Amino acid sequence: MTTKIYDAIVVGTGAGGGMAMKILCEAGLQVCAINSGPRTDPTEDFRQHRQVYDLKFRGYGNPLRFEGKAHQEPYSVEESEYSEGRDLFEHDIAYANAPGTDWYWKRCKATGGKANFWGRSSARYGDIDFKAADFDGFGENWPVDYAEISPWFSKAERYMGVASTIQNRPSNPDGEYLPPMPWRCIDHIIQKGAEKIGVPYLPDRCAQLTVDHYDHPACHYCGNCSRGCDAGSFFSPTWFTIPDAEATKNLTLLTNALVRSVITDENGLAKGVAYIDRGTRQEVEVYAKVVVLAASCVETAHIMLNSKSRHWPTGIANSSGQLGRNLCDHLYGSPGYGYLPRLLGQPATPDNIADSTVAWMPRWQNLKNPHEEQFIRGYSVYMGGGCGDFPGYYGQIEGFGLQFKHDIKRYYPTGIGALIQAPSLPSPTNYVDIDPDKKDIFGIPQLRFHFQWGQNELLMWEHSKRVMADLFKAMGGEMWGMDDEPNRPGTSLHETGVCRFGNDAKTSVTNKWAQTHDVPNLYICDASIFPSPTDKTTTMPIVAFTMRTCDHMLSNFKQGIHKRV
Amino acid sequence: MGGQGIERREILRFIGIASVAASFPGFHQWAFACAHHQEPAATAPIDAGPYNPLFFSPQQFRMVEHLAEMIIPEDDTPGAKKAGVAEFIDFMVANKVPVSASRDVRSTQDTIEMGNEAQSRFLAGLGWMNTRSHSEFEREFMDCTREQQNALLEELAYKAKFKPTTESGRAFFQMMRDYTVVGYYTTKVGLESLGYPGLRTVWPKMPSCPHPDDPEHTHLREP
Repeated sequence: MTTKIYDAIVVGTGAGGGMAMKILCEAGLQVCAINSGPRTDPTEDFRQHRQVYDLKFRGYGNPLRFEGKAHQEPYSVEESEYSEGRDLFEHDIAYANAPGTDWYWKRCKATGGKANFWGRSSARYGDIDFKAADFDGFGENWPVDYAEISPWFSKAERYMGVASTIQNRPSNPDGEYLPPMPWRCIDHIIQKGAEKIGVPYLPDRCAQLTVDHYDHPACHYCGNCSRGCDAGSFFSPTWFTIPDAEATKNLTLLTNALVRSVITDENGLAKGVAYIDRGTRQEVEVYAKVVVLAASCVETAHIMLNSKSRHWPTGIANSSGQLGRNLCDHLYGSPGYGYLPRLLGQPATPDNIADSTVAWMPRWQNLKNPHEEQFIRGYSVYMGGGCGDFPGYYGQIEGFGLQFKHDIKRYYPTGIGALIQAPSLPSPTNYVDIDPDKKDIFGIPQLRFHFQWGQNELLMWEHSKRVMADLFKAMGGEMWGMDDEPNRPGTSLHETGVCRFGNDAKTSVTNKWAQTHDVPNLYICDASIFPSPTDKTTTMPIVAFTMRTCDHMLSNFKQGIHKRV
Repeated sequence: MGGQGIERREILRFIGIASVAASFPGFHQWAFACAHHQEPAATAPIDAGPYNPLFFSPQQFRMVEHLAEMIIPEDDTPGAKKAGVAEFIDFMVANKVPVSASRDVRSTQDTIEMGNEAQSRFLAGLGWMNTRSHSEFEREFMDCTREQQNALLEELAYKAKFKPTTESGRAFFQMMRDYTVVGYYTTKVGLESLGYPGLRTVWPKMPSCPHPDDPEHTHLREP
């Protein structure tokens, strides 16, 4: 019996992995995609049209649902009673936090991964991000510039469908957009206030279909996107890339297959991967000419750090020593929330049916001069509010009885709140490594986080609180408060950096094509290659960079650098 | 208990940005649901005979039901009683679901501990109310007049009426109010009482602000 060898293995089926397998399958390659958990079934798993009162525990979930699991912390928001009963999220594999670190690692192991439930904000990165080191002298530039990546952003936007407007802000390059989401009352009021204090308030770049897009129907505005879309009206691997890849018949999709390591040949090149079959607990090997890791940022580093061999004593493709280093994240938290008295008592309007970032404040700091502020780089702010579902502001209203009930209704349209998205800077003390003592239930050494917020992002956090105080004044709002401290690191799901790309093999893990410097047939298609998180989100750029990486890989196949089976 | 945690939680939910939600399993875990099930059976007021409480004694249950209705009474929309809030509270307390949690849930053990805490706080709190009503009016809370009951709650609910000796009563009232509000506004009648127009499966498009001539909304009149 001959052993099957694929042209390519793709580990992970999320934003990056899904796109990689689509492109490689459509190019005629035989692809084996390996997914850690079960297959996502939108009709079974996405029960977002259910009423909260149809859920046994009103959305809180069965309190004993994680009993006996290795990792029992629930993952808000993505994981909820709306999808309870299906084993979509990772609770069998624990991870470690070094003393003083409190990383919140939310993992979806089902096909499509976190991209089934993502926030859909899809801004382009610009040269202000790629060449930040030139501007402010910190760190290193990205190995690409805007002119080079711009066409790939266009391709990604065209495929995904992104709603926005042309805004002519060099720090936020415009793309190719579907019609924007209409604005609600709160957006107009916030925009007028923001204008008075010199802060932009503009339609976000939102990957939600405001019109039909190829085979994908326009959004039906049921308002529960974060539970997964039952109609495929925003980009997700489940509705977009995975079906495209499967249509080619060139895809073999393995599920419940937890990849442990990349295995190498006698020359130290990638030969395939070893995975644990979760059902049988047996280790299985799969072979291919090229291996693509897209396991989500830190899990990709985890697999590589666990891929030790004679050639790679500290993990595969780690001659730079940068594997697992430079862990970055977005600092999240609310720097201000309150209400708009001028909307008191107004009729309820369906403000959250898009359940989305309709508008935001794209970075406005340090644009003219990189050192205008006490911090370098910059942050963005999302604003939300209006009528939601549960009147969570009730704690602001004193008392009980008829007046209390009346006031809850009266304040219903008025509440607004801000969310800061502030990038951390790479730091030698922020990284992941392998815990020397702890192993998971399959015997795989656990990943361990070392991470603290740095001074730069904490200065942004303080700055944003002052801006929010000014904004509330300018728009005639009343402030109720702000978060005492930022959310735990990891909350944003925007971790980057642990396999950063660069032109110098001594200081980066991959080259500008996301091909590891050391192992030419090992590629990375997730946010781990991004050297810094910028003030923008990661999903659309993951898709765009994956398209570019796969294009490069295919040309390497064409030139014979990689040989087909 | 609950004070700071609740406030933080509220915000995360109401600002309506899914990704902002942080580290607790509470308010943000359910989201708005769209009317899908039209069967009235799922939503009709409970009238299938007397409810047998899972956790509370019948006397305690009646007191919980009464307190809930005092917090959210019937007006032109149903109150807590018709919405079945007492059943909700009994069910959640019995199952140790920490609705009004004092800290993050990191493990099943945390959940159970907070669930146990809620059970004992409910029992102690109901007892406290009776002790208080005895010392003020020389009778059980449920035997007090409506005015006396209001007076007892007001000193727990309004800062201006707080007394230094009622701290544990205030903590109980806050928890009772949390459970009541959560129980009420996660029912169909509760959501409908807010006039929220999203209770449906499909909107053909997202409606935009109906006040194009008044972007700052300075000319709106409160109905």
